Amino acid sequence: MTTLKRYIDAGTSWTKILEINGDDKQAKIISTKDFAGLNLAYDNATGHMADKTRKYQNEVLSLAYGAKKLLNNPENATIVDIGSRDIKWVKFENGKYRDLDWNGSCGSVTGATVEMLCKFYGVDTAHLPPQDELIPVTCGVFGMEKIMDEIASNVPVNVALAKYIHGIAHNTWIFAKKPRKIYLSGGFCLNNCFIESLKYYCEVETLGRFVLVEGLYRYLTGSRLKR
Amino acid sequence: MRLVGIWGYPDPEILKKYPDSEFIDLDINYNAPTSGILPDAYCRIMRNIVDNALFFRDRLDVIIASVGREKCDSGWFASHILKDMGFNVIETRYEKYNQTLDIPISRSNLPLKKKINLIMEGILTKTRNSFRETKPEFGFWGVPPNDLDFLDIFPGTTHVYGWTRCVEAGRPADLELEMFADDNVPTVFFAQAFCAKMQLAKYLAKKYSGLYVDIDDKASNSARAKIEAFIKLG
Repeated sequence: MTTLKRYIDAGTSWTKILEINGDDKQAKIISTKDFAGLNLAYDNATGHMADKTRKYQNEVLSLAYGAKKLLNNPENATIVDIGSRDIKWVKFENGKYRDLDWNGSCGSVTGATVEMLCKFYGVDTAHLPPQDELIPVTCGVFGMEKIMDEIASNVPVNVALAKYIHGIAHNTWIFAKKPRKIYLSGGFCLNNCFIESLKYYCEVETLGRFVLVEGLYRYLTGSRLKR
Repeated sequence: MRLVGIWGYPDPEILKKYPDSEFIDLDINYNAPTSGILPDAYCRIMRNIVDNALFFRDRLDVIIASVGREKCDSGWFASHILKDMGFNVIETRYEKYNQTLDIPISRSNLPLKKKINLIMEGILTKTRNSFRETKPEFGFWGVPPNDLDFLDIFPGTTHVYGWTRCVEAGRPADLELEMFADDNVPTVFFAQAFCAKMQLAKYLAKKYSGLYVDIDDKASNSARAKIEAFIKLG
């Protein structure tokens, strides 16, 4: 008889679930709102919406462990997770953890803002053409104001949004200390406009949306990372 | 009870003139109501000073205000503002020193919050206790934060650097000492948001491969979590 183990990365908008049942391993994703309604038991959690008073592991550690696993112990790599709310990154150098950061508030409204804007203007993120120009997004509120100004100046909505996404990509690259290559984790792995915009500055390789939850599992079951 | 307010590190010779007084450190957050005198987006410590001064106004006989390089220009400006508002303010500058005191608390095995509180209390009363030195596994560089609670994340093997160490050494305007850090000790370089020391903290974090953290009022979950990750990965 095997026992089901369930680990979750409860993000601001989406909850990533990893279920382990013996040799069987399944990854699922549902909206955090829906997940809350299911009242599913879980063995451990990471993510902004996780209940931090119980069974919780912080997201940067989960990212570090997940990246280590998915990249098979990288020698040199910068892994950036960018989702609905914030950006966090870890860097490995000579096979060891070297540096990290996590933006907390200013400039942190990222994926959720893009989703809201696309819904508001009825634009499919798959149809956003990457733009050479960018809208600065150090402050999300000022960034949104610029989008509205552009649209009011007859710039097509999808172009204005693509410039905003380019701004987020540029901000991400700067925040991660301008690496030569970024291994990308999180919801923006599905946003081609973001990926192509980020490629103006560095190489990009996507790791998908399950890096943190994989890292949570690895953290709880494997050996510990050290500087 | 009547009070003598202080901020920063006033000249000890001036403090000696008030031997039997009850002091209150206006830098500390006592949850005084917001006075609205300073902008909201401003150093939280300076806002504490002004808000506390207004809150305790009826009990303050005098404020001994640190306005030299041991504090900052904001301290100097606040002193002028409070004088203009009718407070009795004595300005002090404490920038020259005859000696360097030992720093046993900064190097001790006490919890970090306790270390910082003891060092700051030492401005008025030096402790005579002895402390057990510990080998530093981590470092905390910076001023005493407005939010002392996040210091609980650090283990007792954390040494204190930056301005707080300068205070223990009795040299609060010694920039060379303030900029010192140990090469091989993973260190969190903390600055209060909107403080000029953000410049030093950011620069030193890069120089020593540490973690730069600026916090405004209370440490956010993200700030706490990145410090925790830095320590666990350290």
